Order: sequence, then C-alpha cells, then structure tokens
Amino acid sequence: MPLLSLKNIDVSYDGKTNILEKLNLSINKGELVSLLGPSGCGKTTTLRVIAGFIEPVGGQFILEDQNFTKIPVHKRNFGIVFQSYALFPHLTVFDNVAFGLKMKKISKDKIKDLVDSILNTVDLSSLSQRYPKELSGGQRQRVAIARALVIEPKLLLLDEPLSNLDAKLRLKMRVEIKKLQRQMGITTVFVTHDQEECFSISDKVAVMNAGEIEQFDTPENIYSNPSTEFVARFVGFENFIDLSNISGNEFHAKGGKKFTINSNRDITKENIKGTIRPDDIEIVDENSNKENLIDGSIDVRTYLGKSYQYNIKTDLGTLVVNGSNNNVYSQGDNIKLYLPSSKIILV
Amino acid sequence: MKKKWAYLLMAPGLIVIVAFLIIPILSSILPTFHDGDSLTFSSYTDFFKDSYYNQIFMRTLRISIITVVICAILGVPTAYFVSKSNKKIRGILIACTIFPLLTNSVIRSFAWITILGRNGVLNNALLTLNLIAEPKRLLYTEGAIIVGSVYLFLPLMIVSLVGVMENIEGELFEAAESLGASKIKAFFKVILPLSVPGLIVGCVLVFTGAASAYTTPQLLGGNRKMVLSTLIYQQTMTLGDWYGASVVATIMIVTSILVMGTINRLAAKLNERGV
Repeated sequence: MPLLSLKNIDVSYDGKTNILEKLNLSINKGELVSLLGPSGCGKTTTLRVIAGFIEPVGGQFILEDQNFTKIPVHKRNFGIVFQSYALFPHLTVFDNVAFGLKMKKISKDKIKDLVDSILNTVDLSSLSQRYPKELSGGQRQRVAIARALVIEPKLLLLDEPLSNLDAKLRLKMRVEIKKLQRQMGITTVFVTHDQEECFSISDKVAVMNAGEIEQFDTPENIYSNPSTEFVARFVGFENFIDLSNISGNEFHAKGGKKFTINSNRDITKENIKGTIRPDDIEIVDENSNKENLIDGSIDVRTYLGKSYQYNIKTDLGTLVVNGSNNNVYSQGDNIKLYLPSSKIILV
Repeated sequence: MKKKWAYLLMAPGLIVIVAFLIIPILSSILPTFHDGDSLTFSSYTDFFKDSYYNQIFMRTLRISIITVVICAILGVPTAYFVSKSNKKIRGILIACTIFPLLTNSVIRSFAWITILGRNGVLNNALLTLNLIAEPKRLLYTEGAIIVGSVYLFLPLMIVSLVGVMENIEGELFEAAESLGASKIKAFFKVILPLSVPGLIVGCVLVFTGAASAYTTPQLLGGNRKMVLSTLIYQQTMTLGDWYGASVVATIMIVTSILVMGTINRLAAKLNERGV
C-alpha cells in the first residue's frame, strides 16, 4: 500500500491544453522519489499539485487513504524547499525556522527546543540570530531545509533545491539532503533536471516528458534499461537504429543488415529502435568474425580527456562511439564496429 | 578631485534652494522667536492658549491622521491586488489609480460639493429612499474634508505600496502557506511587514499632503471648519497678519516633522530591519 498516490491527474491552465495528462504516481513511505525531466515537462507542476498550489482539473491525490485533492495548502503539513529558498527576509534564522511552529500554536519553550535541535542538526546553531541576507547560499539552503523539516511534515517536497549553488557545494548538499532524509525517514519528492544529481540520491526516479511519466523505476534500471526513446536519450544513449523483428532475437535493420539482440522486453510494436551507448560500441579488427558488425568510416574525432569520441558514418546513419586513448583513429579511416547483443536496448 | 566636481555639479541646485527656499523660510520663522532682542516663545504659547487656534490645530491633526489611516486601510489591499495581477492588467490598474491626479484638485473638490451639498446627489438619494426626513448637513464638516482628502491622496498611498509589493517574491507567500499559515495570516505575517517601506512613504506623502492641502478644506470645510492652511490664507490675505501666519507655518512644519518621525517609529515595529 503506497503512502501517496496520484491518480489520473489532469492539470490545465486554460481549459484547452493539458500541462499534465492522466498522470499516475505512487510513492511508498520513506522513499526519496525524484521527478526528472527537461524544463517544461511538468515536473514542477506535479510537485505543485502535491503541495496544493495547483488544483488539478481531474484526478485525485490520495495520502494515507485520505483524499487530499482539495485540502488547502496550509492544512497539508508538507515541508517545501523552494528553488529560491523563499526565506522570510524580515525574520532571523531562528524566527524563519520557528514560523511553522508558531502557526501551530506550540508553546514558546517547546518551539525553542525544537528549533535549537533542528538548527543543531543542520549545523547552524551559531547563526540563529542572523538574517537571511547575511548567510551564504549553502547556509540559506540549510535554513530552508530546517524550516521545512521542523514541522515534522508528512512529506518533504524539494523543488530544484540545488540549482542555485555552485558545483562543489551542490555535491556536498546532495549528500547532506540524503543523509537527513534517511535519518528522519521522511518521504520525499525531489524535482530536478540534473540526471546525475537525481540518480545519486533517489530510491526511485520518474522520468517525465510533455506532461507524462515515461518511466518510473530505480535509477539503476532507468540507466541500464530505459523503456522509451526519450528516456534513453535523457540518460545518455546516443545511437538509435530503426529495426523490425523477424523472429525471436533476430532483427532487421534498414538495408537488410541482421542484428541479434538479447532483450527480455516483450516486443509488440511493428517498428522498434535499437539503442546503444557510445561507450558500448567497440571498434574491432577488419577480420573479426563476431556478430552485429557494421562497416564505417571516421567522420569527426573529438578529444574528451579520458577517451576520444568519433562520429562514424555507416549505412545505418552516423553512430557516436567512444574509443580508447591507446588506439587512435583519424578522419577517413575505414573501421569495423561491433555492437554487443546484450548492450543493445530495444525501445 | 572627483569629489570637488561632484560639489560643483550640486552647486546650481543648492544655490536655488538656499536662495528661494531656505532663506525665505528662515526669514519668516526667525522673527517669530524674537521679542525685540530676547528669545521668546510667547507667540507659540499664545497660539496654543487661544482655544480658537488650538481647535484649528487639533482639527488639522485629526483630519490628517484619520485620512492617513483610511488611506492605509483602503490602500493596502488594493495595492496588493494590483501588484499580484498580471503585467498587462497591472499597467491599466495603475493608470486608473493615477488618472484622478491628472485633474485639477479644485475641480475634484467641486465634484464632492455636488455630491455632498444640501441639494446634492447623496442627500437627494437618502430623501427619495425615505431614510431621512430633511437634508442633512454633509458639506462644511470635518467628514467632508476627510472624504475629499482620502479621495485626493489615496492614489499616492496605492502607488507607493505597489512599487514595494511588486518586488515581494511570490514564493514567500507560498512558503508561509506551506508552513501552516492561512492566506490571511500569511498576508499579515509576511506581506505586510515586507511592505513597510512602501507604507512609510505612502503615509508620509498622505499626511503631509492632507495637512498642507488648501483647496480641499477651503471648498469642503469653508470658514466653519478651518484648518491651518486655510488659517494662514485668512491671516495673510484677509487680515494682513504676516507675523501670525509665520507662527502658524512654523507650527505646521514642526508638526509634520514630528508626525513623520512617529510614523517611522511605528512602522519599524512591524519590520525591525526595514527589509
């Protein structure tokens, strides 16, 4: 039984076009789930539906068997960390964190205890009388997290919380967020457009595109086994080959080239695509007798540091391949490419 | 070197202000403290001892403060609505707010005469509805001056507040809501304190405007309900008492400064940092 489920959520601003369409999502207690996708894919909208800032035109939001769809924001008791942090500039760090507790009419002594303890957790005790203006980006971020956590929320919602930090701090903060989340066991929804950041801290990831969830799975499964072309492209698959199924694991590419692909996926579509990462294609000897070989010639070579990247012209279009620094090819070289049957994913 | 140039650039404006503002003011204020050779405050103690003058002073203060309070109460929600509306509509709303300022204040006060007069729109309406038996005196009362002043100065309050409220991040309101504050609480705990700089500017503009307005109290209050500015006019133009007018003018200036100070202090209570 999931803690939270979105059922057939429709969101529309003008009544004509849908920002979210029949969106379904279930999250279990204690999980950290990320909504990942490019800007405009509806991930922030989904978060705002959960938060209660947007009322969906259709569908339901259920939390612990209770219909939350129409419950006003201030009665939901969710902790939200905004992209801009949204700290109250006229209040000190202490008062910012105490704000939610004051709204709950908790006694002053109790408030002081709770605030002191959470500020201690996020390592900000010494700054409690400062104002937000006097803090660094990372400190503001921690105040925002403390403020959201101190009310003991049923859910923690994070809207691109790391995007305003510099790269080094971002790495540090994402570990801290993960640690806090584990420590408090709080169910968390995290919105981001950064794939690496998302994979590093999430239990599960929902990859979104154009108002729909394309794939909802563990980061490992999404990385190694994307279910759609969009997801594949998003996680770094760059080569796509049009295929049609002949029988079993035998496939035909355009021009009759035959491929063997080991896939555990049921293929029901007529026209499918095989996709493979630039890292997984090997450049092999002219007289190799492996299966899934293609002839090609080097078109462009770029240096990436740990490897070279080649754009290779083949009968099946241009393929992107990463090659080692040991064996460097130059433009115009004719080579053979080996596409291992277990590395090709059908989408 | 740069600094000296800056002073030079300031010089023309400074000379005009000193020659045509500071010197005239001082030359009218200073004599009121002189009794032959010695320093004296007798003109001022006489003013406040005289019940007629004292009454006018208190009336001016009362009218201005009530005007400020009403403008703030009406202006804050209006300004928030304007600042939250989308850009296109906001422009139109601000234009509507400012539009009355483009009309001469004499004409605008006359409009109130036709509304509040003995045979005016309001009395006629109340008579036809049988709510009153005979026309009420609405014109030439303090109420009339307050209504006219609020109408005259409300745009200043709204425009000062919109400027500040526009810059309050929308996520702050949402953050307050997410922390358990209802919309009304979020407004009073977050939006209002952050609007204080605009509120101060608005209150000061409205107060000084209302306290020094001449046409509105003259037309809507007449000689029955004199205020300091109409008193000055009467003393100079009708009685030729320039000395007495100087005393009143000094009292007006000092009062304005004191009230502005008080407004600032009250506002600081709402938002201690002024951010």
